[in-house]
Amino acid sequence: MLLENKFYRIIKEEKTESDSSVYELELLPECDVYRGHFPGKPVSPGVCEIETVKELAMRVVGHRLFITTVNQCRFRAVASPLVCPKVKVLLEVAPVSEGSYKVIASMADAEIVYMEFKGEMKECIV
Amino acid sequence: MLYRGEEIERLIPQRAPIMMVDAFIDAKGEVAQTGLEVLASNFFCEDGCLTEPGIIEHIAQSASAFAGYKALCQDLPVPIGYIGEVKKCHIYRLPKVGDNLKTTITMGAEVNRVTILTGVTRVGEETVADTSMKIFIEE
Repeated sequence: MLLENKFYRIIKEEKTESDSSVYELELLPECDVYRGHFPGKPVSPGVCEIETVKELAMRVVGHRLFITTVNQCRFRAVASPLVCPKVKVLLEVAPVSEGSYKVIASMADAEIVYMEFKGEMKECIV
Repeated sequence: MLYRGEEIERLIPQRAPIMMVDAFIDAKGEVAQTGLEVLASNFFCEDGCLTEPGIIEHIAQSASAFAGYKALCQDLPVPIGYIGEVKKCHIYRLPKVGDNLKTTITMGAEVNRVTILTGVTRVGEETVADTSMKIFIEE
């Protein structure tokens, strides 16, 4: 995993319905990414939030995944370990065909939705 | 070639370890060309490939470099931009270490500090990713 225990740490993992899970995450302020994004002004890169969704989806399906399509991903508010040290990711991973999944996710805390993701991922042939 | 290597720091606010553009090749009107050589040391590289977030960040920073270039041409400070939305993004394959990405950014309309743009990233003649994006520019 590119970002697990670097950009985020999983605090709690819960499967709710057949295709849905909830993850409680801690955003890690010591992540190297904040040295450059931006110097003296840590902002979580939106693309790291996308990668986080992918890595959580990989846990759900138990297989490496490749993002083939991002239908839409909205960044509604700027996230950072200072603004939102703990967040919840709601994740829905639905199989659409052999080895391919539709993934819907959001990242939020009690007050704010930071990110909403809709995309398609497929299993990597390694 | 207009800017390369560390000169890119004049165009964008991002710094190591996530500088995802190493060449600002050309700009005409609303279209610009940028580049990135995929190095094994890249923050977004895993198992010899540049991962999906790395490709999307490269396209976002290409747009940011274009905005920075336009600002410099008018003697204005280089703005900080955030990705507001990624839409209709297709990733066809992951670039490998050693690949040279060439990206074409086409700027669209700007409304309330939100700019719509499209980006196409190629390795040689092969398109590896294309996307539409909204970038929010901070005042």
